[in-house]
Amino acid sequence: MDPYQNRRWVIILVIISISMIFSLRLLYIQVIDKEWSKRAEQISYIKENLQPPRGFIYDRNQELLVGAENVYDIYILPIKVKEKDSIVICDIFQISIEELREKIHLASTGYNVPYKSSVMFESLSKEEFAKIAPLLSMVEGVQGKSKTDRGYPLKTGAHLLGYIRRISQIQLDKFKTQGDLFYSKNDFIGITGIENVYEKELRGERGDANYLRDYAGNKVETIDKNPATPGKDIHTTIDARLQKLGEELMTNKIGSIVAIEPNTGEILCMVSSPTYDPSILTGKKFVESYTMLKSNDSLKPLINRPVYNDNYRPGSIFKLVQSLIALQTGVIQKNTSIVCNKTKIGCHHHEEPTSLMKAIKHSCNPYFLEVYKRLILSKRFDNYFEESRKGLQRWEEMVKTFGFGNPLGVDVPEEKGGFVPNVDFYDKWYGKKRWAFSTIYSNSIGEGEIGVSPIQMANLAAIIANKGYYYVPHLVKKIGRENRQNNFLLKHKTCVDSSHFQTVIDAMQLVVESGTGRSAQIDSISVCGKTGTVENKTFNDHSVFIAFAPKEDPKIAISVYVEYGTWGSKWAAPISSVMMEYYLKRKLSKNGTEKKNNIKEAIILHPNTDFTF
Amino acid sequence: MLCVSLIVFGYFTIYSSSYLGYVQENSFWSHSYGKQMIWIIISVILGTLILLIEGNFIQNSSFIIYSFFLLLLIIVLFMPAIKGAKSWFQFGGFSIQPSEFAKLGCSLAFAKYLSLINVRTQNIKNRIIAASLVLIPALLIMIQPDPGTMLVFVGFVFVLYREGLSGNILLIGLFAVLIAVTGVFFKASASYVTIFGMAISGNLFFGFILLLGFTAAFFIIKYFVLPRYRREKFVRLAIVSVVGICITLSVSFVYDNMFKERHRNRFQIMFGIKEDRKGDGYNIYQALSAIGSGETFGKGYLKGTLSNDKFKHVPEQNTDFIFCVLAEEWGFLGCFMFILLYAAILIRMIMIAERQRSKFTRIYGYCITSILFFHFMINIGMVIGLAPVIGIPLPFFSKGGSAVLAFTLMISILLRLDAERKVVLR
Repeated sequence: MDPYQNRRWVIILVIISISMIFSLRLLYIQVIDKEWSKRAEQISYIKENLQPPRGFIYDRNQELLVGAENVYDIYILPIKVKEKDSIVICDIFQISIEELREKIHLASTGYNVPYKSSVMFESLSKEEFAKIAPLLSMVEGVQGKSKTDRGYPLKTGAHLLGYIRRISQIQLDKFKTQGDLFYSKNDFIGITGIENVYEKELRGERGDANYLRDYAGNKVETIDKNPATPGKDIHTTIDARLQKLGEELMTNKIGSIVAIEPNTGEILCMVSSPTYDPSILTGKKFVESYTMLKSNDSLKPLINRPVYNDNYRPGSIFKLVQSLIALQTGVIQKNTSIVCNKTKIGCHHHEEPTSLMKAIKHSCNPYFLEVYKRLILSKRFDNYFEESRKGLQRWEEMVKTFGFGNPLGVDVPEEKGGFVPNVDFYDKWYGKKRWAFSTIYSNSIGEGEIGVSPIQMANLAAIIANKGYYYVPHLVKKIGRENRQNNFLLKHKTCVDSSHFQTVIDAMQLVVESGTGRSAQIDSISVCGKTGTVENKTFNDHSVFIAFAPKEDPKIAISVYVEYGTWGSKWAAPISSVMMEYYLKRKLSKNGTEKKNNIKEAIILHPNTDFTF
Repeated sequence: MLCVSLIVFGYFTIYSSSYLGYVQENSFWSHSYGKQMIWIIISVILGTLILLIEGNFIQNSSFIIYSFFLLLLIIVLFMPAIKGAKSWFQFGGFSIQPSEFAKLGCSLAFAKYLSLINVRTQNIKNRIIAASLVLIPALLIMIQPDPGTMLVFVGFVFVLYREGLSGNILLIGLFAVLIAVTGVFFKASASYVTIFGMAISGNLFFGFILLLGFTAAFFIIKYFVLPRYRREKFVRLAIVSVVGICITLSVSFVYDNMFKERHRNRFQIMFGIKEDRKGDGYNIYQALSAIGSGETFGKGYLKGTLSNDKFKHVPEQNTDFIFCVLAEEWGFLGCFMFILLYAAILIRMIMIAERQRSKFTRIYGYCITSILFFHFMINIGMVIGLAPVIGIPLPFFSKGGSAVLAFTLMISILLRLDAERKVVLR
């Protein structure tokens, strides 16, 4: 007998005990301790936010104003880059070998790992990429991936469209406290213009997706996917061609052009000059361009003058408002004759204003001084100061019904409202009972303390064209498939009866036919307009013109403001005529083209401007 | 019963191959699981052939087979290294690992030698020869280097034990390992114990405790053992004490001076002192996650999300870490069944070995049982984080043609010999 045969049981015991230890360990890992299971999830799942594509922006004729442009990011995969290729890579991107090393180092450290590709160069344009694409196929570890950026096919309307940029931490926190959890770091957000006002509509809705990933972090399988809802397209009221023409006309001038369709309030164009190419505020050029635009102090190209510059004095175009209020209150009739008395206020040489029409036609200053006096002071006043206060209050209320003094409600961010002088203002300025009509008479001709933004001027033209009412001027017609927004369908009435408008309209026609605005004439279209020359003490006066056409059925109301433009008829009026002609006929006559070219070439700038544009 | 074992093994083989079949996709033969299929077919054919060979022939050619594989082990050292080890012969798309076959050769020669009429396990000279039969190939494999396979040769201790090696030696060995592991643990944790206001490193403290233990043992012997045995026991105790203290100190020395940083890291990770998800602890972290994600019932066949080739979160998932695939897809129940099955097979093999009349067959049976057992123990132990990471395949599961062929040959030789058990006289 084998003396050791019972030892088999010891060995079997060892086997069984090891098996039991293993089983218990597995029981612990797999069933009891859920920690490992959770860790497995962390390892194998990858959650991704799906970015919705931002909505496009179209003009009123379905032309694309803001679309998407393909740009290319160059990615580098450090583990695949070979030593022998590095010189070729340096050659392709025109960088030194040290720079390349630095890039590779950056792509392999910190949050980046060598077996995952990271961005080496951002936002190469299609042209740039086309140049290097064939060379890239020769080397390993470097490749281009396309993404979309904001694209501006017409390169127009920079101010009204606005721009987007990476969200700042401050904004991010603000949205968080407001309960809007849409944004995360590195997201883009509309800063100005339509991009800002319609941000919520343009941005769309975020989606998310869960993937199974492999060891290198590649997505292998999709578990669930909740696709992003793309942002809605915005259909603006802008006529891109008109806008473009306006920008062309305003080259080397400071000022603005605003055109409105009177019977809807739709803004046809909103030119702010100097302007810039909106595509420079995208992608990698952003910071550089932004700094350049921001540092240009004397011209302030980033400012959207039609809505921000509300301290423009309207000048003689304000005489139209005075006439209408005067007619309404009955202090004058349409054939009231007032002598052109130049003792208090200057005037140029013209025939005697025997009627309101003639006064408007020649823009007679003393006539409107008298009108203003009659408006403020009733015929038999007892207390000069008290009467002035009452009169001014009455006058202010009436003027405000024309959309002055308060923001109109245009869909641009931070619209400014301008200023209509009131009792409180003068009380504060001069002290109570220390001022009277004689102190404030320069308001009569649109000088003095009145401040009006160019869009309010254009709105005035629209009000007259409509004979007494206006719709709030707006930039957007349709959001996605929804039609116009309700607040832009509301009719705003002025305090003046529509019957009184005919006189003023006829007078405006006379202004263009034979008065101060003859340079605004268009062949075969009857234009109604009014010039304005705003006093400027430092340099040439500013040139202002408002108009609408055709007289019988107004399709376009316009305001043009050219700083340092000497007088209304010199620059503002011809610019208006070119704009209106193009809008109404879709082409320019020989006369119009000539005008356009003359205007384009003119440089009208303050002599102190450091000319960088 | 034999048939059952055979079917179970067949099942295992198919099981494993189907796993590998899942691991890779696309065209069948050009991929590793296709190659594995070829190997399995070769293995089955050769295994069947062996069943036709006379058992005596196998027994008589033991030393020739042993010498042949020993020669291969020497030649392979001159082959180009793959993954840092000179373990493979390459023929076109296939590679052969002689160390796998060396286990078979070694088992045969070991059994043959011990079953010779004039060899006794009590004889020192015979012991040394038997030990060197094992140690020579083990050393050659060590040189490659392939510590995992080398470790398997330690399994022959079980055979020696069954054939009469004193159990004390095994116990002492176990004791030494225990002391070493504890020593490493104290060292790795870099713990300090404060005694009488003095900070003593954990390792020294452990040595101190050991010394106390030995002193206690000394007194126990003095008062409880009969005087005539005392002297003998004292000598043994003295040797054990010296060796124990030496091991503790040398562990300290080896840990500080000979280990590289990654070795230290591995130990620290194993003892759970340090968690390192990215570097040295990556493999085991990923493996444990995959196993843990199987939970009770598993994710279902082919539905794993971590350990298969598609996701590859677990490295070496079709060789050393193949158990993760099983654990993830079949969960605890599957793993438990698997362990039961493996234990049952091992025990069954011991039963087969025990019912032999031929000493050669019995020793051979024990040899391959302990080889399989060591593979099983080290591989699973490593994957579930109970042993340090050592590359060693799981028999009949892991990818690797040489291993499949070698294990099939081992089993089929046992089956052949077993079939002849009634013919052979004691």
